[in-house]
Amino acid sequence: MNIRRFFSSAITITEMEARKIRHDSTELWTRIIQPALWLLIFGETFNTIRAIPSGNFSYLQFLTPGILAQSVLFISIFYGITVVWERDVGIITRLLSTPSPRYSIVLGKSIAAGLRGVLQAIMIFLLALILGVKVRFDPFDITGVFLVVILFAMCFSCLSMLLASYMKTRDRMMGIGQALTMPLFFASNAIYPISIMPSWLQYVSIVNPLTYAVDAIRSLLVEGNYANLPIDILVLAISTVIFQVLASRTIKKLLE
Amino acid sequence: MDVFRPRESAKTALNNKAIEAENLAKIYRGNIKAVDGITFSIDQGEIFGLLGPNGAGKTTTIKMIMTLTTKTSGSLHVFGLDVSKYSEQVRKMIGYIPQSISVDADLTAYENLLIFSKLSYVEKKERDSRIHKALEYMGLSARKDEIVKRYSGGMMRRLEIAQALVNHPKLLLLDEPSIGLDPSSKKQVWDSIRQLNQEFGTTILITTHDMNEADELCDRIAIMSEGKIAVMGTPAELKREVGGDIITVEMSDSYHIPSFPKVIGKIIRNDDLEIEILTEDGEQAIPLIADFFRGHGISVESISINKANLDDVFMKYAKRRLTDEMFKSVRKTRRDFARHSR
Ligand SMILES: Nc1ncnc2c1ncn2[C@@H]1O[C@H](COP(=O)(O)OP(=O)(O)OP(=O)(O)O)[C@@H](O)[C@H]1O
Ligand SMILES: [Mg+2]
Repeated sequence: MNIRRFFSSAITITEMEARKIRHDSTELWTRIIQPALWLLIFGETFNTIRAIPSGNFSYLQFLTPGILAQSVLFISIFYGITVVWERDVGIITRLLSTPSPRYSIVLGKSIAAGLRGVLQAIMIFLLALILGVKVRFDPFDITGVFLVVILFAMCFSCLSMLLASYMKTRDRMMGIGQALTMPLFFASNAIYPISIMPSWLQYVSIVNPLTYAVDAIRSLLVEGNYANLPIDILVLAISTVIFQVLASRTIKKLLE
Repeated sequence: MDVFRPRESAKTALNNKAIEAENLAKIYRGNIKAVDGITFSIDQGEIFGLLGPNGAGKTTTIKMIMTLTTKTSGSLHVFGLDVSKYSEQVRKMIGYIPQSISVDADLTAYENLLIFSKLSYVEKKERDSRIHKALEYMGLSARKDEIVKRYSGGMMRRLEIAQALVNHPKLLLLDEPSIGLDPSSKKQVWDSIRQLNQEFGTTILITTHDMNEADELCDRIAIMSEGKIAVMGTPAELKREVGGDIITVEMSDSYHIPSFPKVIGKIIRNDDLEIEILTEDGEQAIPLIADFFRGHGISVESISINKANLDDVFMKYAKRRLTDEMFKSVRKTRRDFARHSR
């Protein structure tokens, strides 16, 4: 397998997504509504009543990385629906009938999810600016957040593609996506610190990749303390590789 | 014109068959025998037609060749390469037009071809010229920057054909390519298929339900039925097998013909004002028949010819219940005739 060709195929798949977003960006704008509501209503309320301990930072500051990770989670966990839809309209058949290796196609798709994640992150940065949430707008931190977001989106979009290979229909993917997002979200440190969870939930949160993504984004965006960053990124990277390999092997099942 | 000439690769020696399938089978889950042990081969430069009723296994066969689905058993080689071992190399040599539309409706025509040619590793310096030539060839240049969503069905189909040409395939797999095309676009597609084949020696495997199309285009034809190949041969051979042409003579007055010269043909129906004669070669028989009637002083209103066509062949080999009773009787008499004249 030719490495240069491999990556050029993956980048082409991402380019395909970028061109689609350029033609029609409505979805990007609708995706800002939910995080805005979380920050405006949930965030502002709990900020005022101080019900959740958020250390040296305001609750809004604590929450923003969690909401960022949550909205990227939504994008990527439902990414399989896009892929099923593309199967229905023949695009997957088309992609799989090119000489490009299957691994490069799945990789390209997951980077495309990462691209959507980054655009979403930019929107949430803007939102934070508007709401006056103090986050660290430092070029290094912002770049770091983008990289974490890409990795995180790759991880869950690959999981989603893996599930899609077996589920095969949009309805089932919708169901499974909904069944997964809420538990993942509540069993993480997105809206409250792990320390206040019941101990059984703490164990669950340790095997939840979302926890690591939130932790990484929070340390870059709010805390400026990078001690846990290597562990966070390592866990995300390992899960991404595992899901990536599995999804690449199963993607052909979508056509059957 | 050197536009769509496929490149020779070292691995594919000239003496290899374009496609060679032996006892090829595909069993889907639930024990559905979509393809049930077929053996055939297609020479390089041939136009081969795969016909058969719905569900016969044509698309499944094409998907196995395209490595989109794995075979259950048997062997399958494309230009001498085992498809299960060299799937990427095999895909590189093939242009594929699936049965259902597969272009990306959210991109422009140009972008569709651009993405596809990148994924097919068309060299960068050639890419743009190939894309433009393919668009021009399919008559889409004027609207190349329009989102495909706004195209008509036939235009999308033409875009797909354009897409299958940008990587200069040595083998083109066309799964019902002319579906949904108007007669003139259809003609255009036929012309381009023939041109690709004649000028560049592109091997073509085509499935269709249009017998006329198969007759026009194909060097050889296989009719599949229930996953098996029922019959294979040139269109002429197959038509010969189902019998000859039927000549219908309409007379001005009622007349019963007691005897008819066997050399011309055989009367298969003699109604009041109409006679049907089964002949081996209709065109040659017409003047003889006209002479015969004139000789007997019978005045004739009209003479018409119903040539044996691939429809008859199809009906004979495709296991399917016929609804058209008349057709059935014609077929039966033709079959009888074929048996008699043997
Ligand atoms: N993905 C699949 N899973 C299970 N069975 C399938 C699948 N695809 C096709 N089949 C079955 O395999 C058989 C052959 O289907 P195929 O699509 O090859 O037929 P075809 O000759 O192309 O028909 P048509 O003329 O309608 O396109 C059919 O019985 C079909 O139901
Ligand atoms: Mg078919």
